[in-house]
Amino acid sequence: MATRKRTLLKVIILGDSGVGKTSLMNQFVNKKFSNQYKATIGADFLTKEVQVEDRLVTMQIWDTAGQERFQSLGVAFYRGADCCVLVYDVNLLKSFESLSNWRDEFLVQASPSDPENFPFMVLGNKVDIDGGNSRVVSEKRAKTWCASKGDIPYFETSAKDDLNVDVAFQCIAKNALKNETDEEIYLPDTIDFSSGSTHTSSSCSC
Amino acid sequence: MSGRSKQRRVRDPARDVSIQVLEKFSLVTKFARDTTAQLFGENRLLGSNDDLRDLERMPRIRRVDDRKTEIKEDQMLHSVDHRQEPAVCTPSYSSDIDTSCTGDRLTPLGNEEWANYFDTEGHIALSHALRKRIFYGGIEPGLRHEVWKFLLGHFPYDSTYKQRAQLVVKKREEYLILKSQWQTITEQQAKRFTKFRERKSRIEKDVVRTDRSFEFYAGDDNSNIMTLRDILITYSFYNFDLGYCQGMSDFLSPILYVVRDESEAFWCFVSLMEHMAPNFHRDQNGMHSQLLALSKLVQLLDFPLHNYLKQADCLNYFFCFRWLLIQFKREFSYGDVLRLWEVLWTNHLTEHLHLYICVALLKSHKKKIIEEEMDFDTLLKFINELSGHINLEAALRDAEALYLIAGDSGAACIPPGTPPSLQVAYVDEVVDNSD
Repeated sequence: MATRKRTLLKVIILGDSGVGKTSLMNQFVNKKFSNQYKATIGADFLTKEVQVEDRLVTMQIWDTAGQERFQSLGVAFYRGADCCVLVYDVNLLKSFESLSNWRDEFLVQASPSDPENFPFMVLGNKVDIDGGNSRVVSEKRAKTWCASKGDIPYFETSAKDDLNVDVAFQCIAKNALKNETDEEIYLPDTIDFSSGSTHTSSSCSC
Repeated sequence: MSGRSKQRRVRDPARDVSIQVLEKFSLVTKFARDTTAQLFGENRLLGSNDDLRDLERMPRIRRVDDRKTEIKEDQMLHSVDHRQEPAVCTPSYSSDIDTSCTGDRLTPLGNEEWANYFDTEGHIALSHALRKRIFYGGIEPGLRHEVWKFLLGHFPYDSTYKQRAQLVVKKREEYLILKSQWQTITEQQAKRFTKFRERKSRIEKDVVRTDRSFEFYAGDDNSNIMTLRDILITYSFYNFDLGYCQGMSDFLSPILYVVRDESEAFWCFVSLMEHMAPNFHRDQNGMHSQLLALSKLVQLLDFPLHNYLKQADCLNYFFCFRWLLIQFKREFSYGDVLRLWEVLWTNHLTEHLHLYICVALLKSHKKKIIEEEMDFDTLLKFINELSGHINLEAALRDAEALYLIAGDSGAACIPPGTPPSLQVAYVDEVVDNSD
């Protein structure tokens, strides 16, 4: 298998304003939760080293403004992304309905070389609220949508209670890396064609 | 107005007296004193740009005393609220900008001096002198709520006490009507009014995360948060086409904190938004024009830095987006933001001082940016982490120096209509002069 020096994975978090993008990033990277994060203006990112199987990679996680009015900034912030995480609030239908728009917008702005196989991930956040009694988007509905978009892996999370956050980001790293090695095939390097299929498993097996 | 006069904390009493006298007659004009000595020939900080030749036509400027102004504010105002703990980062401020051309810093405008700007009927004839005064000294915290209404254009400088009292009453009635337009929307009606529901919920999401660590907005069930909410929803009805956009709550927060009165704060916010609205347009035209102007200014004032950013593919300047969108609101302590904004709102020298501040800040970190070969991502991170580590007074002074150095060539970098172009005070002054 071709080995690649670059071990930086750029991950973009998108979703409506207030769904918890900043909180998820901070919970994953800093193991902290605060309900006083300010609305993100422009973009910012945090980095974290993660072990994916036998590789140590640096995840660079980008947090962006959630208001669609700022989407035109995407051109600058999304470039070179290895994975895109779409977040919605399970208690807010509108944020779920926006996922399609966020996904389409990302593909337009980031224009990845292979949009069909670009790794996405969907997180249904804030499952802790009201013990789940106020949720309006069921897990089944979310999974159906994910399946319709090419089997996007799906996790239900709570940034507040640190539920599934690590697991989800581990999976994100794994999928991003998978995508990366697929691209690697085309690099003029030592190529071992026997290293297995280039097919990217669309569901996360982590 | 009671004599809440504060001891001026300047070092030279004789000079202090003379300054006071000059202020009385509104003669503290820098250019009046700018008769001798040299500034130019010192374009070592300009880089090598042919465009700069006509800078030498700039007026020659005398060196003025470099006195530091201490500004007394609540301790609270000086803590910077970080969204997250910043990485250990105390960037050294290594500006090579020659600030000897800049004006003398003054103590903040106080009550007694403020009273002297009014004639018997309450007109402020010398608004230009007033704005210049504030540019160099700021305003004492207890006086801001009065002065800001003029600076923002809510009160015309040529209005009388009586007219302003009437204006307050009339505008309060108008505000209440606007507010009632959304407050009377019933639950059933709201169910069929998606746009309203969405705007309201977006505003409600943002006000609860606006300056919550600042005492005025802290704690559960804080009524000031509700006032922020009410003003923003009312504004989204007043300017339905623009609606609400993230960043607006950052603009409103200091205004409400200073002005306190809900209706007055609303109208001050309306005045501010007259000029900041293009920042929030759907096509982002206001932001793009500022980013482009900034790029041109850096090209003019620091060609090597421009060249570096060009080869690093950073000329879109998106790493300065937050600085520009909300005028450095997230970069300084609350108290410094108040001070910075009142300086910007004076429009003294230029309406675009904020762009020169951007240049000053980038210039001051140029060495690090270039030596560390920062790419776009690293630069964005670096700029974001400057938050809370920027010396406001130094930045203002450097920006002023850069403005003076750039002269007409600088102005030519900024196309007409580039926000904020807070023109209200300027227009008033034209009216003043014609009287």
